Amino acid sequence: MADSLHNSRIRKWFASSPPVVWGFRQMRELLIGALKQGPIPQHVAFVMDGNRRFARNHHIETVEGHNLGFESLARILEVCYKTGVKVVTIYAFSIENFKRSKHEVDALMSMAKVKLQQLSEHGALLDRYGASIRVLGQRSLVKADVLEAIDRAVALTAGNKKAILNVCFPYTSRDEITTAVRDTVEEYSRPVGEPLPPLKRPFSETHITQHIRQQMLQSVPEDLAEQHSSRSASPSSSKDTSSAAEHSSATSTAINVSDQDDSYGYSSAFRDPESITAETLTDHMLTAGAPPLDLLVRTSGVQRLSDFMLWQCHEKTSIVFLECLWPEFDLWNFLPVLVEWQWQRKKIQEQERGRGRHGLD
Amino acid sequence: MASTGVGPRETSAFRRNKLDGRDLTPSEREQLIAPYLPAPSNLPPSSRTPSPTRKSKPRRPQPTRRRSRLLRHGLHVLIYALVSFLFSLYFRFRRAWRMVKSKVVALLKYHHRTPEFIQRDTRHLERLPKHLSVILQFYEGEENQGSAGLEGLVNDVGEIAAWAASAGIPFLSVYEKTGKLKNYIQQTHTSISSTLEAYFGPRRTPTLSVRAPHLQSYSPPLTPDSDSNDPKKPPRQHLTVLLLSAEDGRDTLVDLTKTLTEMAQNGALRPEQIDSQLIDSELCDAVSTEPDLLVLFTPEVRLKGYPPWQLRLTEIFHLPDNKGVNYQVFLRALHKYAKVEMRLGR
Repeated sequence: MADSLHNSRIRKWFASSPPVVWGFRQMRELLIGALKQGPIPQHVAFVMDGNRRFARNHHIETVEGHNLGFESLARILEVCYKTGVKVVTIYAFSIENFKRSKHEVDALMSMAKVKLQQLSEHGALLDRYGASIRVLGQRSLVKADVLEAIDRAVALTAGNKKAILNVCFPYTSRDEITTAVRDTVEEYSRPVGEPLPPLKRPFSETHITQHIRQQMLQSVPEDLAEQHSSRSASPSSSKDTSSAAEHSSATSTAINVSDQDDSYGYSSAFRDPESITAETLTDHMLTAGAPPLDLLVRTSGVQRLSDFMLWQCHEKTSIVFLECLWPEFDLWNFLPVLVEWQWQRKKIQEQERGRGRHGLD
Repeated sequence: MASTGVGPRETSAFRRNKLDGRDLTPSEREQLIAPYLPAPSNLPPSSRTPSPTRKSKPRRPQPTRRRSRLLRHGLHVLIYALVSFLFSLYFRFRRAWRMVKSKVVALLKYHHRTPEFIQRDTRHLERLPKHLSVILQFYEGEENQGSAGLEGLVNDVGEIAAWAASAGIPFLSVYEKTGKLKNYIQQTHTSISSTLEAYFGPRRTPTLSVRAPHLQSYSPPLTPDSDSNDPKKPPRQHLTVLLLSAEDGRDTLVDLTKTLTEMAQNGALRPEQIDSQLIDSELCDAVSTEPDLLVLFTPEVRLKGYPPWQLRLTEIFHLPDNKGVNYQVFLRALHKYAKVEMRLGR
């Protein structure tokens, strides 16, 4: 027993001796440089799962586990940015995580605050990586002091264009999609304040209603028709009698319409909902403008997305579930994932090329 | 931790923000981290004013530096070739090994097209998914014999439905990107029910309804059995098969957005009223509920446009390097879902 302890101590001493450390660092740099020669995913997302289990397994406090997780994150970010990944998205905190113990939530919040503050002291260093930080999520759920730290770090790095770090902090994907839908609806239900070139249908609704009314007036007995017109007049109150006439010219003067919109004017004053596409929603997601997600990695053997990047990852993204816990995650776990991704990418390209050739035949 | 290439001094400084018992100042921290940064020459000049720590360098690199960089580049290319070669060897061996293994297991655990065998394999599982979902692929080519074309696809659906029914799963959704199955919903129904009958025999065949979002559910009227009135007989099992395709994913969400937009433009709805519960209930009704377990029969996890909203907490299972529908994947997925370690001949 004592012997093995002694051995492990010797091993530890050996492993932390400067030449060995130096050697490992050189090896890392070489591997990273080598990886760069192949295709590199443009956008990588991580679910940093397993901090708590790691802490439990090693009999340390949960908060300490999160701290180690942060170190692991720093190492992985180094690997990503040095190999040329443009965007890294990390799942730092789910909205659901607020259900955890208050102690843990507070510790996580203060950790985020401290790390972001430290980061803000090193603007020059961030320039070297050229990375800008963005925080995606429900800002309303974050306390003011943390929010301040976030805003400072975001503002400080906003000018960096080379790489992006998306920190999902209170985030869930359903919330993101809901917000995107809501924003889209809001945008489209805001009357467009200028004369409308986009809508060029040959028919105008007011014209049609006029026609219908005329027909009714001709065919329906007198008193009934009067009743009808008075009923239809009631919702838009006083000036409805003149409104039909007004609306016939509404297509040219859409500005007037905006304040009496809800009954008639929408067709000419709003953008056509049919012009909403999947891209419209993508542009309203929090990751708008980022390249498509190429690779999603989840550690700790849980094979679920847990409400993360649903909209972004359900098409061509390669999703990888790893057994190791997040604090143990390093280049040595990430390397096989990256190489396999490169291998798959090559195969897909070959297939597409083959298909293209078939198509030409 | 040595493999990280960070010394113990730096590690402790990083963790405790202390070096030799003192708190670190920002500039000391920068000094500590300096050797780990990428060389500034690799980067394009940044837009911000140069920081005082960066010394102004001559624009043109010296010839020796250029040579060393060339050397380094050559080394990188070499290592890249080596690494990809080794890994491709490894992948090939792994795939071959796993294929052999799965063939052996397939021999050991064959269902013999009998529900009892499948029940024996799944009976001890404490937790079964109520809603199972699978992703299938439509192969056009000739090279995938057995599972090519529409016929192969429909056969696969039939087999999976039979396994699910045998295991006692009441709801199965089948995702196929192109939506070929949806166009032949009636034929699919016929094929599945004949497979079910082959498994269960004519007397115990579970009742089946096949449906697809926005289409009428298809379940032909049952021919009354002679013994259906028998009170001793347990009621027949029912299986619902839902056919999904790529348009039930993003496109449906876009359609919902359009509808909501129209309503908002008409004044029937305020944008603030849109919340995740509203969207969830709409999509639940229009497409499907959240599946408990999603099984992929592909060698890697790519969702190929599966409805995103429903995937929130779904357990995703795939067998690495597996290709094609087989019973073993199905069984392993159920075991994984029930968190049971499957020991096979070990």
